Amino acid sequence: MKVNFIGHRKINLFMSLSLFVVAVVALLIFGLKPGNDFTGGSSLEIKFTKDAPATEQIKEILVPLNFGNISAQTAGDGGVILKMRFINETEHQQMLTKLRENFEKGDLKVLEERFETVGPAISTQLRTRSLYAVVAVLLAIIAYIAYSFRRVSKPVASWKYGTVAVIALLHDVTITAGVFAFLGHYLGVEVDVPFVVALLTILGYSVNDTIVVFDRIRENIIRRSCDNFADTVNQAINETFARSINTTATTLFTLFAMFFFGGDTIKWFVMALLVGIFLGAYSSIFVASPLLVEWNNWQNRKRT
Amino acid sequence: MKTNSPKTSIRAKIRWGMIGAFALLIIAGCYDVPVYANRLIDKVNNSAHLGFPRLPEKNFNLGLDLQGGAHLVYQTNVENVKITDRATAVEGVRDVIERRVNAFGVSEPVVQTTKVGSDYRIIVELPGVTDVKKAIQMIGETPILEFKEENTEPARQLTVEEKKQLNDYNIEAKKKAEKAIKELKSGKDFAEVARTYSEDDVSKNNGGYLNYISQNSQYFTLFDTVSKMQSGEVSAKPFESTEGYDILKRGAERDGAQEVSAKHILICYLGAKNCDSPEYTKEKAKVKADELYKQASAANFPDLAKLNSTDLGSKESGGDLGYFQKGMMTKSFEDAVFAAKVGQIIGPIETEFGYHIIYKTDERISKEYEVWRIVVKTKTEADILPPQDQWKSTGLSGKQLEKSEVTNNPQTGSVEVSLQFDSEGKDLFKAITTRNVNKPVAIFLDGEPISVPNVREPILDGRAVISGAFSIQEAKTLSQRLNAGALPVPVELISQQNVGATLGADSLNKSLFAGLVGILIVMVFMVVYYRLPGLLAAFALVLYGALTLAVTKLIGATLTLSGIAGFIMSLGMAVDANVLIFERMKEELRLGKSLKAATEEGFLRAWPSIRDSNLSTLITCVMLIWFGTSFVQGFAITLSIGVLMSMFTAITITRTMVRFIVPWFKEKGNWMFLGHKKEELL
Repeated sequence: MKVNFIGHRKINLFMSLSLFVVAVVALLIFGLKPGNDFTGGSSLEIKFTKDAPATEQIKEILVPLNFGNISAQTAGDGGVILKMRFINETEHQQMLTKLRENFEKGDLKVLEERFETVGPAISTQLRTRSLYAVVAVLLAIIAYIAYSFRRVSKPVASWKYGTVAVIALLHDVTITAGVFAFLGHYLGVEVDVPFVVALLTILGYSVNDTIVVFDRIRENIIRRSCDNFADTVNQAINETFARSINTTATTLFTLFAMFFFGGDTIKWFVMALLVGIFLGAYSSIFVASPLLVEWNNWQNRKRT
Repeated sequence: MKTNSPKTSIRAKIRWGMIGAFALLIIAGCYDVPVYANRLIDKVNNSAHLGFPRLPEKNFNLGLDLQGGAHLVYQTNVENVKITDRATAVEGVRDVIERRVNAFGVSEPVVQTTKVGSDYRIIVELPGVTDVKKAIQMIGETPILEFKEENTEPARQLTVEEKKQLNDYNIEAKKKAEKAIKELKSGKDFAEVARTYSEDDVSKNNGGYLNYISQNSQYFTLFDTVSKMQSGEVSAKPFESTEGYDILKRGAERDGAQEVSAKHILICYLGAKNCDSPEYTKEKAKVKADELYKQASAANFPDLAKLNSTDLGSKESGGDLGYFQKGMMTKSFEDAVFAAKVGQIIGPIETEFGYHIIYKTDERISKEYEVWRIVVKTKTEADILPPQDQWKSTGLSGKQLEKSEVTNNPQTGSVEVSLQFDSEGKDLFKAITTRNVNKPVAIFLDGEPISVPNVREPILDGRAVISGAFSIQEAKTLSQRLNAGALPVPVELISQQNVGATLGADSLNKSLFAGLVGILIVMVFMVVYYRLPGLLAAFALVLYGALTLAVTKLIGATLTLSGIAGFIMSLGMAVDANVLIFERMKEELRLGKSLKAATEEGFLRAWPSIRDSNLSTLITCVMLIWFGTSFVQGFAITLSIGVLMSMFTAITITRTMVRFIVPWFKEKGNWMFLGHKKEELL
């Protein structure tokens, strides 16, 4: 059984292009919602031992403390996460006292589960470091791709493999970011250091999927001497298909296990990895390889 | 078949490889969870009396997000300090913070300085700390240096009314504690009762949970009682602790730090710390100590101590100091005791207190217990009437100190710490020294006396020296502390991350469960899809998991929530190498090759792909480790260990196992191997 992936390449490329455009538009209109790590600010997770009061009520009580715009959101059983500007230790204690004074009654107690506050000095540092890390990883990955495709192979020049691999990477990362633009807009999901880490991990992971497929294309060109490039590519995809699906599937299994059972703290980090790794496998089959064929055809048309 | 034929020798090698793989699994497994391994060893020892040694129980380095605790970042304000003095000033502050943190009694605190751009920052990590608020309060104060003189005012007595008040209050407290016990006995949840009854912030707000306590922690007063309780036991009646009526519940037990017990004889001399009535000069003290050392034996040690020791605290008990851990005694004393063998008498060891002859009586691993507590506070006389302070303030403090330096006394050559006051301080100091001639004046740092020199004559020029039995290092530290107290280097808390112990434990359990589910799904998938080789890969995956955890523990990497995420994700990625190999095997089988040839080809041709695909993940990991915040590093380190280990297990372990089983089957394999029939192609 042989599936004709390349034959349907126009549909696939069009689908990916539309997704890519939607992602870019979402990023432009909604943007990503930066979290405390990058803007500075505080987040306090409290737990009410009995039924939690409405978030509106909590916010109202905290207004006199002048902590600026406070967002409150329920989390799990009796849990509430409050987010606000950077507050110092005195203000932090004031806030806890205020909450306890107002809500603690008999058996109902307010427990502090987690408190994180990031000052402007730290958030600036995290922003620049994230930027450096992204640039460094991108350069390293491009260098790695250049190294992997250094041997020239006909009929497509090695740098073209590299360029296509980078385009596939951008596709994966942009769409993942686009998903988070939607999540940020509709569910208030914030983008923190873990998100950057997820993106970088996707970069490292998805490039190897593409490389495995491309390696097979080159191997087949050498072994079978290329008469029809599209067929060779299709053959290579078919040969590596089971591997791509299985490897991605096992990684996705573990990520799903974490998403459902791993707790709230790393939920969105895992979500970013899930989306990105799925796209990584998808793009090496349905984006990178068809693009290679398209490029080759376009070049040949020009020559004739 | 001859035994030395190449075929049999290869077979033997493979067999050894299999044994090696199993041995590796057992070793790595025991290293990962020594508690279970020891339980098994104990069982074997008890039934068979073989006396296998127990394994050392080393725990994983858990991050703050998993064991609860606080991560604090302080910015130091060094604007008013000369650029050249800044690093020293910050080191001084770090030192003070470290001392304050140590006094707080958390296990393995980290206090370090970092320089970001031109900013000096101090990072404080307090694993397992339950009262973050108090810790922050203690750290945040700028070091305070004070000079105090002896307080000669007599103390006041409690009035009759006050005595009655005190008594009534404590009777009420006892009633309340008994009521709490009654509720517990009626089957109410301990955490719930703790929230209602406990009067101490930490236990009240954490459902009574105090995490693990050691003899060395702030809860040392509860330790003895807890150590006599069984796991899961709740106190049957309230017991009187220093704070009030305590009701305790004991959880699990774990091994803590090493501890030793020792007896000692101290010979102090003129100028040594806390030497109240010196009988000897330093030289004579040394001669006396040498003499005692020669006489001392295990049998006569207590008597010698009673007769000769100048340590009033331990003299009567024959010099017995009981059990203590690292960090509880002065450094040189501690080093000497820990280095000695049990039963050995060593000496004379010099410390700032004098010369010690030490008899080490025992050495053991201390225990730590998980504890829940309800405390109903009682009052003592001291609550109504603060105890009479031995010292009173003089108004002279670090504010008037201009500079402190380490100097050498030109006559004796001994190391001293010199102080220079400003003009206001000069006048104050003159007045203080004039009225205290031949009396002690105490120098306090953060409320602790660091030196109590005797005034010999009034000092008029605002210069003072603190002499004593200092080593250069000690003098430097003291001077650094004094400068830190004198220099205006305020610290500001610019970032904090606190995670409650219950939330941490919850995260740990959840992520471990997720990992278990993940690995099971992957194993089932591999077996269902790849059949027999898949089963081998599933075994290799277990070995992979055990090895990765063992390496993480071995290099002492901190395991954070993100690290566990990296590890779990690498479980999925680890089978990639196996998938690559099995897919190749399948193709080779379909091409009509024999099972043996297909196996060898499969491994050989999959290798470049395996290497390339892992390399790109490793590149990202290296970049991430360099990126540097703890979340990122935790993830990247376990992921890279995972990737490296997965290459090892896939290439060596799976290969050995597949080679081992191949001769059991006929040449073309059977249904247990994917691709053995050509029809399956379609």
